[in-house]
Amino acid sequence: MRRLRAFAFRILGLFDRHPAEDDFAAELESHIALHMDDGIRAGLTPEEARRQALIRLGGAEQTRQAHRERRLFPWMDSLLQDTRYGWRTLRKNPSFTITTVLTLALGIGACTAIFSILNAVVLRSLPYGDPERLVYVLTPNPHLGANVPIEAFGPSYADFFDIQRQTHSFAEMTTFEQTYFNLTSQSGAVPIGAARVDGNFFSTLQSFPEIGRAILAGDNHIGHSHVVVISHALWQSMFAKSPQVLGKFLRLDRQSYQVIGVMSPEFGYPHSLDFPPGVGSGYGAQTDVWIPLALTPQQRAGRDNASGYALGRLKPGVSMAQARMEMSTIMARLDLLHSPELRGWGGYVQPLRESSIGPLRKLMWLLLGAVVCVLLIACGNAANLLLARAAARTHELGVRITLGAAKGRIVRQLLTESLLLGVSAGIVGIAIAYLFLHGLLRMDPGNIPRLDEASIDGRVLLFTLITSVLTSIAFGVLPAFVAARPNTIEFLKSGGSRGSIGRSSRIRNSLVIAELAFVVSLLAGAGLLLRSYAKVASVKTGFLPSTISMSVSPDAQYGTRAQRFALLRNLLGKIEAIPGVESAGVINALPLSGSESLARLSVDGDANAKDQPVNARSITPGYFSAMGIPLLRGRFFEEGDVDDAPSVIIVNHAFASKYFGGRDPVGHRIRTSGPDDPWETVVGVVGDVHHSSLEAPALPETYEPLWQKDIDGSAVVVRSTLPPDSLGPSLRTALRQVDPNLAFSGIETMAQLTAQARAKRRFQTTLLTLFAAMAMLLGAVGINGVLAYTVQQRSAEIGVRIALGASRAGVLGLILLQGLRVAALGLLLGLGGAAVLTRVLSASLFEVSRFDPITFLAVPAVLLLVVIGACLVPALRAASIDPMRTLRAE
Amino acid sequence: MGDKTDVWQGTLALMVLRTLEVLGPLHGYGLARRIEQTSGDLLQLNYGTLYPALLKLEQEGSIRSRWGLSENNRRAKYYELTRAGQKQLKKAAAEWEQTTTILARFLRPASET
Repeated sequence: MRRLRAFAFRILGLFDRHPAEDDFAAELESHIALHMDDGIRAGLTPEEARRQALIRLGGAEQTRQAHRERRLFPWMDSLLQDTRYGWRTLRKNPSFTITTVLTLALGIGACTAIFSILNAVVLRSLPYGDPERLVYVLTPNPHLGANVPIEAFGPSYADFFDIQRQTHSFAEMTTFEQTYFNLTSQSGAVPIGAARVDGNFFSTLQSFPEIGRAILAGDNHIGHSHVVVISHALWQSMFAKSPQVLGKFLRLDRQSYQVIGVMSPEFGYPHSLDFPPGVGSGYGAQTDVWIPLALTPQQRAGRDNASGYALGRLKPGVSMAQARMEMSTIMARLDLLHSPELRGWGGYVQPLRESSIGPLRKLMWLLLGAVVCVLLIACGNAANLLLARAAARTHELGVRITLGAAKGRIVRQLLTESLLLGVSAGIVGIAIAYLFLHGLLRMDPGNIPRLDEASIDGRVLLFTLITSVLTSIAFGVLPAFVAARPNTIEFLKSGGSRGSIGRSSRIRNSLVIAELAFVVSLLAGAGLLLRSYAKVASVKTGFLPSTISMSVSPDAQYGTRAQRFALLRNLLGKIEAIPGVESAGVINALPLSGSESLARLSVDGDANAKDQPVNARSITPGYFSAMGIPLLRGRFFEEGDVDDAPSVIIVNHAFASKYFGGRDPVGHRIRTSGPDDPWETVVGVVGDVHHSSLEAPALPETYEPLWQKDIDGSAVVVRSTLPPDSLGPSLRTALRQVDPNLAFSGIETMAQLTAQARAKRRFQTTLLTLFAAMAMLLGAVGINGVLAYTVQQRSAEIGVRIALGASRAGVLGLILLQGLRVAALGLLLGLGGAAVLTRVLSASLFEVSRFDPITFLAVPAVLLLVVIGACLVPALRAASIDPMRTLRAE
Repeated sequence: MGDKTDVWQGTLALMVLRTLEVLGPLHGYGLARRIEQTSGDLLQLNYGTLYPALLKLEQEGSIRSRWGLSENNRRAKYYELTRAGQKQLKKAAAEWEQTTTILARFLRPASET
């Protein structure tokens, strides 16, 4: 009740500051006056009396300050006291303080680093206005295969414009295509990612250029459409951020475009990472130029072929479910307008956020969970350290309690110390997190969007602060209450040195057991992931890792097929002439490059195999040999397989198994185009390759001669004995000789592409293994500490044992056994936990069962080794105790 | 030092309450002088430390204050004990007695234990 009154006064004090201050000033004046009266009566002069009064008062200003603090913040002086006292105590025990702070800093730092990644990738809003309402407008068709990601089904233009006319759900809609251009300048040709966008693009995304203007509807008219908006990065690299950039010209694919706007730095849509793998152009990570879509009337009316994507911004108040329902209804009508050969087009909307983040959420939460485990282990160690120290402070605390200090006050004091430790650890943790982030970003798996934006910003700092405070409470509460027990009698009885060891050592052991349980779970998870990664790494890709690949795209200059073919033939000829080159070929969709090409398959004589979706590739004859893909039956393509010659096709092993069972497909006829096109005769069967993913089984694929089809963008592959560094320049020279206005994008080996395909798994595995290692280190330190403390406390007893004839080895064994007992309990608990927790991982495992025996054998073995190592030092120390010394010290 | 000030503030409060109980309402200066005297001048306190303590006691409701006139007609703020203050005083005094009794037993010469 008293406290409540005092509290009420405090709150009121915050409001009527001046009257209370004036009142006290008057009281102080009156005090000094009264004192002066006494002084004058005693014979002093008024000045002397006043001076004396002020001295005895202890200074007017100090008194006023103390009074003010008590009036407004009475808890402040006790907090300040506690803090000062705590700081001094911590300074006096540097080894304890440093150990605890470092332990906690490791945990907090790791958590902060992971949170900053989580923040950048999942939590921060996308850099578009109103990102939560942005959706992909899609027209999925189940007949085109269940494995195709839904984002690949952008609507055809005819569908798009009809939807736009009929919908009520969207404030705005836009359609666009991804492509890539050769940007030519004095320094040569360079490939850049581009997007052709309609007039609503920038307003749908609510993102507008920093300088100049966006592309509008008027720019989409043929004849006015050679304008371009450039990215911030391009502005920097090409124009050195010159403010006079508007009106300048860029040469894209040999045509001039006038710059009308520059985007802000964080805008790069469509980013290839905004689509799931296999969707979107395989080239270039981000878009650097936006030009008008400028559709011809025929293109606008095209209903059956889709080459672009559509985005919409939902109207406020329209839910996802409502939009989906409306889309289904509209598409049910529009489906009837499609060619009767392929119906079944539906309507769907998918939030933009889901497409880029959806698959990542699981990974992020997994990492966060792992790193929180590490933090909890660190807290356990800190709590143990504090408990050990509390036992040593029983004397000091006992005196305070006896002299009347409230238990609550002592607890507050100890918690303040914990807070000091926690906040210091937080500060060091931020530094650790910074280093951690640097290392992580170096390991960039490349396909986690916005990973490179991870930084320690305001929200992350707030997270660190909250984590530090929560951590302080977590590890400080238990020791504070244990230490503050006012067991005055027992304290005084024991001469102030022993406290209740039994109780607190049980607590300490339990903490270590819990820590080890976490360690075991993390080790099991890391082990499973490591095994999975090893399995993925040993998957046979089906092609040679040393083959070099690069992409080239003929621009608008090559208007006819004949021109394009001439270019390629020329290029291939020059490349094959380079010394060291064994073979060279071209394909329209390179394996593991994120590009895909589908066709509709029919098998002659098989009624079931009609209009099936199949991967279809166009290649030159040298392709298979350049990639090292083996010929299983029949023959490769030859130069004779050109237009006038019979249509031929080659299939892979998976295709042969699926559609021909055990029979030889050579000689049979299949078709990968419409019913009006000729049947193609199978002339060969080749080995399988992993095209879209190393972890999915190889799919059926067909290969057709490029010279019988056409090319769009394509990849050239070269097999040679030379390493890429020496071959690269020769290849560029060859291309420059053929056409200096074209550029290769990215010269890489297939091995590099394969490594990139594994990058995300590598990232996940490395991080989890790192956290498991950290946890193990902390756990080892924990069990070492507990055992060392036990040895110290029991040194007298051990001395007696040795004096009574126990062997040193026996003592060693005794201590080791104690450590092993703790470890065994932790192991048991941890294995149980692991069995439950690995369910979370099961989606990420590859050819490894959740209860993989090798992992579950290795984990206890590793734990045992580490525990024995950690317990060795205290055990050895116990074994070398000199009984004379310990018994005398008693 | 942490504990010393704690204990000090507690005992000062006790001294204030007791003095007010025995002598009736006093102003701040008078209380300070009186406490000094009662301790047999063993206690040399800064008079200024009294005021935060008085404020705390007033916030807790153990004492109340009002402006009045001193003997030599000076305006001064007088403090007096409330009924709640009286109860608080009794309780604190009893606790203190108990602690000193226990301690006294332990600190008796060893031969008697």
